[in-house]
Amino acid sequence: MIDRSSTGPWQSRALPWVLPGLFILIWSVVSGTGMAPAYLLPHPGDVFATAFQYIFKEAGQGAYAGRFLEDFLASTMRVMLGFGLAVAVGIPLGAVSGRLIVVNRILSTTINALRAVPGISWLPLAMIWFGIGIKTTVFLVALAAFFPIYLNTEAGVRQVSPILLQAGAMMGVRRLRGTFAILLPAAMPHIIAGLRLGMGISWAYLVLGELTGVPDGLGALIMDARMLGRIDIIVVGIILIAIIGRLCDVGLHQFLRLCFKSARRHP
Amino acid sequence: MRTRLHIVKNEPQPSQAPVVFEIDQLCKRFKTNGSGDVSVLKDITFMARRGEMICILGQSGCGKSTLLKILAGFMPPTSGSVRLNGRPVRRPGPDRCMVFQEDALFPWLTVRENIAFGLKDRRMDRDTKKREIDRFLSLVDLTDFENYLPQEISGGMKQRVSLARVLILQPEVLLMDEPFAALDAQTREEMQNLLLALWQKFKHTILFVTHDVGEAVLLAERILLFEKGPGRIREDITISLPRPRRKDTNAYFLNCRSMTAKIKAIGVEG
Repeated sequence: MIDRSSTGPWQSRALPWVLPGLFILIWSVVSGTGMAPAYLLPHPGDVFATAFQYIFKEAGQGAYAGRFLEDFLASTMRVMLGFGLAVAVGIPLGAVSGRLIVVNRILSTTINALRAVPGISWLPLAMIWFGIGIKTTVFLVALAAFFPIYLNTEAGVRQVSPILLQAGAMMGVRRLRGTFAILLPAAMPHIIAGLRLGMGISWAYLVLGELTGVPDGLGALIMDARMLGRIDIIVVGIILIAIIGRLCDVGLHQFLRLCFKSARRHP
Repeated sequence: MRTRLHIVKNEPQPSQAPVVFEIDQLCKRFKTNGSGDVSVLKDITFMARRGEMICILGQSGCGKSTLLKILAGFMPPTSGSVRLNGRPVRRPGPDRCMVFQEDALFPWLTVRENIAFGLKDRRMDRDTKKREIDRFLSLVDLTDFENYLPQEISGGMKQRVSLARVLILQPEVLLMDEPFAALDAQTREEMQNLLLALWQKFKHTILFVTHDVGEAVLLAERILLFEKGPGRIREDITISLPRPRRKDTNAYFLNCRSMTAKIKAIGVEG
């Protein structure tokens, strides 16, 4: 059992941070020298101060102070609900559709047509159906995350070598156990790719879903700040979503590797 | 019914072991797009006695792999029947295990887990299971590699795992589809010797598909010589060389030569 994660020297560990560091450096120079005025792009120091206030100060100690935890929990719950729904429908449907040509024929045209519809066009409809609030957001997140999860699961399952299934069958493995012991593990790299794409897109659609007047959440924060012209808060919101999105991606991957041998050991 | 069988004269005393595998007038046709069917197997009839090592020898495209797939239960024949111990074969099962030519191990399981895979559903207490797995690991000489993944071991080792994971299920019949064809010459010879040793120990009935004359003569008690278009049994030849057989003896060489001549004759006629 060889651990394939890169535990190289510090140089290779530092590599992922080169780009963000460079980015902040350029940002500092651009706004420090006045090339970009503060009402277009606030200085990183100001943004950092705003972020500190937003995250760590008590409520009442300034605009937006201390709201982070509440927003974070609200948004995370919406993402998890929507993502969970997409997983619960996407993986079983994808697996069946990858195995049974009939199901695939029935589903593929419709799903690929719906996939072409941009998420934002669902927003007005979702607001009419579900009203303003958590249901609309969860619906949009689930809808958006469903497609990459479904499509990747389907592709993964379809590419499983029939020889592996035959080997299982001759060793006396029946269909149900074969699904969990052979089919899904063999398709695991694709399934992981689908889940990670789905998780990423969930955060994107979260903001869309929160644009519509929910009181809390990171998307609502950004919208609110736009109305009040608080560009520093907008930048804080963007950076926080980027960080949380990345952490979710890493967390998801680690979780899968922890739970499934096939996620740890695939070549 | 058995007109296609020509038993060679110098057969030793007929084996008294009971018949386990009966293949009767098996035909297989595949539908092609357009011009009708292609007949891949025609009137395949033979039987295998318990503990027999039978090699199915023929050029590529003579339907020998298709035959093995039908015997394993992976695909149904167009007509004819396959019986194991008198019962018709309809689906794959652990009484007829296949060793594939290509790598068919589960890449996310270690050597040990791959070998243990088929035992999972068996009612067996933990200790017995563990002992069985240990025993088969050592039989194929992979004890030191039990925690390796298939991607980390050589082709020969992979085929040893493939062998162990089916032997541990104690199948009645072993179906081997050119299992050593992708290995280098030296590893192939090691594997052939290992197979013979295991066969001597367990007395499985083995159907071994190959296109390698030398391999067939080394392993087989009987060789079913196939011709193609459609695939059918040309001749049922008994190899009466004493064991252990050595590749550097005259007798072995003569057998190979006569077998090669027979194959050439088929080619000329066809």
